[in-house]
Amino acid sequence: MLKYTGPLTLAVILGLSNSAFAGDPVAGEKRFHESCHACHGPAGKGASSYPKVSGNSIEYTRDKLKAYREGQKFGPNSSLMIMMAKPLSDEEIENLSAYLKDAKYKQ
Amino acid sequence: MKHLIKKSLVTSAVSVLALSGSIAYGAGMDVPMIKVTPVLEGLESPWDMNVRADGTMFYTEKCKGLSMRSPDGTVTNIYGMNGSSGYASAGADLFCEGQAGMMGVAADRHFDQNRRLYVASTSNKYHGSGCKTNFERCDGNIVMRLTLSEDLKSVVDRTDIITDIQYKPFESNQPFGGPGAHNGGRLRVGPGGYLWVAGGDRHRGVCPQSPTLLCGKVLRVDTDGNAHPDNNPPEGFDKRIYTYGHRNVQGIDFRPSDGKAFTAEHGPWHSDEITALVNGGNGGWDPQQNTAGRGECPDEYCGYMPEQMDGMDPAVRASFMPMSDTRFDDLMHPTWNNNGWSQGTSSAAFLKGENWGIYEGRLATGVLGIGFGGTPIGQRIDMVSITPDGLGINGITRMPLGFSKRFRGLVMAPDNSLYVAVDEGEIYQVTATSMQ
Repeated sequence: MLKYTGPLTLAVILGLSNSAFAGDPVAGEKRFHESCHACHGPAGKGASSYPKVSGNSIEYTRDKLKAYREGQKFGPNSSLMIMMAKPLSDEEIENLSAYLKDAKYKQ
Repeated sequence: MKHLIKKSLVTSAVSVLALSGSIAYGAGMDVPMIKVTPVLEGLESPWDMNVRADGTMFYTEKCKGLSMRSPDGTVTNIYGMNGSSGYASAGADLFCEGQAGMMGVAADRHFDQNRRLYVASTSNKYHGSGCKTNFERCDGNIVMRLTLSEDLKSVVDRTDIITDIQYKPFESNQPFGGPGAHNGGRLRVGPGGYLWVAGGDRHRGVCPQSPTLLCGKVLRVDTDGNAHPDNNPPEGFDKRIYTYGHRNVQGIDFRPSDGKAFTAEHGPWHSDEITALVNGGNGGWDPQQNTAGRGECPDEYCGYMPEQMDGMDPAVRASFMPMSDTRFDDLMHPTWNNNGWSQGTSSAAFLKGENWGIYEGRLATGVLGIGFGGTPIGQRIDMVSITPDGLGINGITRMPLGFSKRFRGLVMAPDNSLYVAVDEGEIYQVTATSMQ
């Protein structure tokens, strides 16, 4: 009996862990409207000189936002993104990543 | 009985007062019905429009080029940027980068006879050897005079009438530090048929107060690009300059009652401004380093200082790096400063026609919406009632559109409707109907 407990516990922990960090696209959309919409446009479609940020994988958006939060630069307007990403929590980054993956612009 | 008569009189008096109040209210307050209709959708950063009496609309897309929408809705792509496809012809020298690209469009006052349009764009044709760094002259913003074919579907002649407005070629250490920053770019034909060109400081500290560089200026020229004979800039200045000391002017129009020019201008994280222009006047923007008590600044540009990478109280920032520095004797004091906030004022157009009711004569001002450091984003079109002397406002009403977008381009059409371009990719027609 005992010999099955370990893997089972691990599976439960992994399951819980995944669930705990799965982004909430609804919360992500709300956060997007607070901080991102004005520059990147509705549903992250891009606007003017601000690039499109929707349609990327969750991993891509998560990694980029975390890198900006740490102060890394990727292009000439990185300073803006570093400033905007600074206050984001891990949970908010997960939520934004989940929302932007499938966000679609409806006029 | 006496009591009843007294009561009746009082009631009548109340009724008369109520009626007269109602009549007075109705007579004095013609609040028009405002309706919004999409004209074009799915565009790529539409920037500016010009609408003809028959409903033909010319419009620019920042990275694509100049197009025309015919009254039947057909779209013709007339003149493209380098690399654009589907246009009748293209300018190999025209390019877009960051905020720069094809921007303002205006029609000659005799367009119906000469088919001439004026278009502002970035171009590499006149760079010469001056664009190797950000700290030298780099002529990269131009104004073209395009003559269209009789069917208006192609360009038969292009003459570059202004070729020496500066451009920012490289990244710099600023929050919006990419190349192509701050070009202004709005064009309008004003009283007498003269062309007005609104400019930006291209992130170079010396630009706005320089007597010879055209960055950070508003120009008034004839249709060949020559200075208006009555321009009155300070001695030693380029005579094409009408006003100087500007940051990034994307809105310009002329008050219908007296022809006076007003600009709308982005502020540097504080103080968006509307300004009544004075011939030869100074907008008061001077982001040079080692000036006005400031020391050295990143890449010799103090425009976002202090603490340019962090949000801070706009009033504190304004005291360090004012939009309208009162140390200048020839300062044009702003009409309005958005309560000290910068939310990104863009285009502006005076509402013409009785159909606008109580809003007739107000300056419709588009706000892109930029909310850093706790500033509300504020995407909207304001209808600003300006005092007769141009030095203040009577009040502001938000245009009831039912949506918020990045309002980039506003222009009146001959039928007294307002055309509105938004960065999201649409152009709308806003009509107003008097309720009297």
